[in-house]
Amino acid sequence: MATLTLDRLSKRYTSAQEVAVTDVSFTVADGEFMVLLGPSGCGKSTTLRMVAGLESITSGTLLIDGARMNDRPAKDRDIAMVFQSYALYPHMTVYDNLAFGLRRRSMPGSEIARRVRDTATTLGLDPLLQRKPHALSGGQRQRVALGRAIVRDPKVFLFDEPLSNLDAALRVGMRGELSALHRRLSATMLYVTHDQVEAMTMGDRICIMQGGNVAQIGAPLDVYAAPANTFVATFLGSPAMNLLPATLGPNRDVLHIGTQALQLSGALADAAVRAPSNDVLFGIRPEDIHSGSGYATLRACVLDVEPLGAETIVRLAPEGTSAEMLMRVPRTFSGRPDEIATITIDLAASHLFDPASTRRI
Amino acid sequence: MPAILTRAIVMLLLTGYTAFAAGPFVWAAMMSLRTTTEISRNHFGLPFPPHWEKFGQAWFNSNYSVYFTNSAYVVVTAVLVLTIVGAMAAHCLSRYRFRGNRFIYFLIFSAIIFPPQITIIALFQTLVTYGLYNNLAGLTLVYIALQLPLTVYILESFFARIPSDLFDAARMDGYSEWAIFWKVSLPIALPALATTVILNTILLWNEFLYAVVLITDEAKRTLPLGIQRFMGDQLEDVGMIATGLMIAIIPIVLIYAFFSEKLIQGMTAGAVK
Repeated sequence: MATLTLDRLSKRYTSAQEVAVTDVSFTVADGEFMVLLGPSGCGKSTTLRMVAGLESITSGTLLIDGARMNDRPAKDRDIAMVFQSYALYPHMTVYDNLAFGLRRRSMPGSEIARRVRDTATTLGLDPLLQRKPHALSGGQRQRVALGRAIVRDPKVFLFDEPLSNLDAALRVGMRGELSALHRRLSATMLYVTHDQVEAMTMGDRICIMQGGNVAQIGAPLDVYAAPANTFVATFLGSPAMNLLPATLGPNRDVLHIGTQALQLSGALADAAVRAPSNDVLFGIRPEDIHSGSGYATLRACVLDVEPLGAETIVRLAPEGTSAEMLMRVPRTFSGRPDEIATITIDLAASHLFDPASTRRI
Repeated sequence: MPAILTRAIVMLLLTGYTAFAAGPFVWAAMMSLRTTTEISRNHFGLPFPPHWEKFGQAWFNSNYSVYFTNSAYVVVTAVLVLTIVGAMAAHCLSRYRFRGNRFIYFLIFSAIIFPPQITIIALFQTLVTYGLYNNLAGLTLVYIALQLPLTVYILESFFARIPSDLFDAARMDGYSEWAIFWKVSLPIALPALATTVILNTILLWNEFLYAVVLITDEAKRTLPLGIQRFMGDQLEDVGMIATGLMIAIIPIVLIYAFFSEKLIQGMTAGAVK
């Protein structure tokens, strides 16, 4: 296993005007599971391909265990990659697919056979070894793709959205299996996905990318609880964090949302003092709003009620403002559309963002 | 319209087309077992008694063994080179981004638009200059040049559909570009390769125009030229021509039987997921 370091890695395509990836820096520690998360086109796959050696690096340094890899071809980096499309060789059996990478390394036949059998047993592929990929289900193909990476025992594993072609139920199962595999192998893994649930459940740390840049890096719950900017705040979490335009009072101890006011306290009051201007964005997650009165209450008109079974999502419009917000409440919520509800805001879990820079204050 | 009536009409049309397509072949096959005298008496008579010995005569006495060997040598060599060189060119044009890629593709493909009559005089002169006139190697080279554009065209479109992830996976597995071509590209492109092998074999096996211009020696004639030998100005040995045609057609039938499944796969690849 190994440590993977990206130091100000950038990618610019000769044909494109814009830079695809700009100054991406982070270190994946030995045995760590790092997830690159972001929407389509944010540069996460390009970053992964630069690490893999499938894309050239325009500038910056890529290190594996301290050794510079920038100019080393993919085959000499001792990295294995699982592709979104699985990329199984359609003309080869499962056995040959698993053995293909080992044969290149001039390994004795007996050793190849042993490794393939071991990997097949680990992943439950034993009965499928003589089948060709077209005779496998999506989940089985995924397992073979995984096996092809494991069998090589590489320094670093790369995953490029490996679960996105699976149906929802299978995806949940494979998520658990991948996490278990990571625990068993204690391998250094870099995993690209646009699915925040995968990122939150699997990653030791998440690197959220936006427009070719790193927006935030941190442990999943840390990033969720303290998003660096409005992009991260709204990208992580479903439903997304509510962002309401608000104004700070002259003493910065009161926050005005429309015609209503909230008395600030604690960390939020400290943030209000630091705010570059009185105009801010007030961020609150749907699960941090509660029905009923408490320390910080607002009155809001119920626009819509969506009972989901385990919980209920309520769409609200705070009085005196045109903004809307979502609230996640227990299924016992009894409010109806067009009623005025009293809601309590958990100020300790709220955030202020600077509308100009979009950063959290 | 009742289903049975629709079916009957379709069957009738198909029967008519089959008779139209296969009729001349069956007629030639029957004539190949009859003597010219019998054929003159009744053009459409059945081959009773069948003269199987005509095949022996054609092979041993009428020099068909030489024509057949020459044709086999030229066509097998040309198709082999065409398949390998065409596949390499197609792999390169479809896989690698480089300056002038599309220009080279257009240049190769543009050769298809010239009718053979335009190029044949220049080719004749070129072959004479290089001592390749009246030479089977010369004819083979001409055949390769003749069929390369179509081969590259068919293969390029197939190679371009192979997902690039497969090549990336092979690169990650440690294989060189050269090894990837042989171990990944070629085996996957087998249906398209079979298509080009069949098309090229059929076209070149039957090729007459270049052969008649570029080959004059009796010992170097290919099958289409050999068959033509039985067509005199005054007299035509129709029976032997038919026998020769049957001998000529056997390899095509065999190769089609062997590759037809792959041919259909190649032609319909991508049509059905």
